Amino acid sequence: MALLKVKFDQMKRVKLAQGLWLMNWLSVLAGIVIFSLGLFLKIELRKRSEVMNNSESHFVPNSLIGMGVLSCVFNSLAGKICYDALDPAKYAKWKPWLKPYLAVCVLFNIALLLVTLCCFLMRGSLESTLAHGLKNGMKYYRDTDTPGRCFMKKTIDMLQIEFKCCGNNGFRDWFEIQWISNRYLDFSSKEVKDRIKSNVDGRYLVDGVPFSCCNPSSPRPCIQYQLTNNSAHYSYDHQTEELNLWVNGCRAALLNYYSSLMNSMGAVALLVWLFEVTITIGLRYLHTALESVSNPEDPECESEGWLLEKSVSETWKAFLESLKKLGKSNQVEAEGADAGQAPEAG
Amino acid sequence: MAPVLPLVLPLQPRIRLAQGLWLLSWLLALAGGLALLYSGHLLAQLWLLRTFLAPSCPFAALPQVALAAGLGALGTGLVGAGASRASLDAAQYPPWRKVLGPLLVLGTAGGGGLLILALGLALALPGSLDSALEDGLGTALAHYKDTEVPGHCHAKRLLDELQLRHHCCGRHGYKDWFGIQWVSSRYLDPNDQEVVDRIQSNVEGLYLIDGVPFSCCNPHSPRPCLQSRLSEPHAHPLFDPRQPNLNLWAQGCHGILVLLGLRYLQTALEGLEGVIDAEGDTRGYLFPNGLKDMLKTVWRQGGVAHRPAPEEAPPEEAPPEEGLPEA
Repeated sequence: MALLKVKFDQMKRVKLAQGLWLMNWLSVLAGIVIFSLGLFLKIELRKRSEVMNNSESHFVPNSLIGMGVLSCVFNSLAGKICYDALDPAKYAKWKPWLKPYLAVCVLFNIALLLVTLCCFLMRGSLESTLAHGLKNGMKYYRDTDTPGRCFMKKTIDMLQIEFKCCGNNGFRDWFEIQWISNRYLDFSSKEVKDRIKSNVDGRYLVDGVPFSCCNPSSPRPCIQYQLTNNSAHYSYDHQTEELNLWVNGCRAALLNYYSSLMNSMGAVALLVWLFEVTITIGLRYLHTALESVSNPEDPECESEGWLLEKSVSETWKAFLESLKKLGKSNQVEAEGADAGQAPEAG
Repeated sequence: MAPVLPLVLPLQPRIRLAQGLWLLSWLLALAGGLALLYSGHLLAQLWLLRTFLAPSCPFAALPQVALAAGLGALGTGLVGAGASRASLDAAQYPPWRKVLGPLLVLGTAGGGGLLILALGLALALPGSLDSALEDGLGTALAHYKDTEVPGHCHAKRLLDELQLRHHCCGRHGYKDWFGIQWVSSRYLDPNDQEVVDRIQSNVEGLYLIDGVPFSCCNPHSPRPCLQSRLSEPHAHPLFDPRQPNLNLWAQGCHGILVLLGLRYLQTALEGLEGVIDAEGDTRGYLFPNGLKDMLKTVWRQGGVAHRPAPEEAPPEEAPPEEGLPEA
């Protein structure tokens, strides 16, 4: 018993072919949109690869770009097929290719679904990449004279200003690293010597942050140094002061940015996937309807279209049978070859 | 009434004229649309910069006039395109006749007048832009500390964001900050001797320091930003005054904003120039009396074509079909 049989007369077939032709060209546009989304994401990841240790995974944008190109190719081909389907002479040359083409379409749809899922799931790997990258970035903040790392200060400052964030998880991350280079420390000063002696690694740690952590919305001029010392500043309480510096950590800010970007791209890709599935189903109906035209001389006759010729379980059994036959025929050939070789050798 | 600049036009040139008009009308509509977008963008930018422009300066007048001119050009172009398309088909043309006359007058006089006004404003305004920015920035600097005074409470945030975004410091340079009190008295300890000394050291009782806000800092500097005690060469260790000072942004905001404002004016003008050209060409083609007469003749001849004169019939049938452009 066929799966989801539908009766088609001449008018219906023509309408189906025309509708599919239009949908295929719309789908080509959708493929271009997916391609440009992938390109945009790739560029955004490249822009900030310095704070991600240059080790971020480009799997999602690359696959979006690939899917966009494949979608354009397949859908323009399908559009051509649908256009020719109305003319029996032209359709005859496409006939043998249609079944394998439909199989390829099904595989393409599965791949597109997997890519869409990846868009939503990449957040986890991005989080760990960002955590490591930002930690290193802050560590190299002071190395403005080391070749290869001299732009880290500028990168981190611009990042904190643009994304309105400070440090990895918060501004206290800056208290734990030495972000002022030794070149700008006056080693004859007692204060400097005390600080360096006060910790095991001999680092100059301050309870201060760079200027890029300052929040312009604060009503008072920015307090950057001696943040935990209430008496150093008039009318200042570090426990209740909220507007002075950016509260967010840069890891969370960047993660939110990229997550929202990838979520919206995933939503668009999901819509395109639904569209592609509809097109594939329509193409299958058109294929079977044209196949089952009983009298090729009479184009006006009715025909039936279906998704699968037999029910799902029967089709699956038939598929396995054909696989086994393929395996057996290989075996028989191999045995025949061996048997043929043995008498020759012997 | 004697026609002005009469032209004799047989059928084929008439069709070519209608086609050319159709194309030009669409170009005019496109130019009008672009002028609309530019003036909208300029208005949006001015809205963001309104704190730094003296309120007395009617700087928004130029983009508003350009907006009106763009709308006018768009409308004229669309109606013109519809009229030229209809003129090729005898049956469709009659309703357009009533519209075409007033449209030509409105389009030419109104649109042209607006454009001349816009040009005049564009030439006159850069000078006033300069002084408007001077006043506006000065006011913003003076009110930087007034974060709790209604009406001026956003000056600090806007000025900080301006300096961060446009990479500038002060009006003409960072020393502008030395001449005003930018630290509010609420955050000054009245018992601190240093504060008292500074306040007493000048006539107006202002707390003046040789320091700048954090937004003047230049991220490209290799050392952490030095914001305070900038006039004392020995206050900071290893500060080499001979090195080019990357510490703060070198440019003043006045120069950068004037450049920005002039750039927007220039782009708005370029959009408007396109509109002028299309208007000029259209004006050259559209002679009120001549066009009406010749389009009337087209309509009459179309009616006559149902009784074909042998030599005229085939060329009559073929051109209207090929002449209808796919809109």
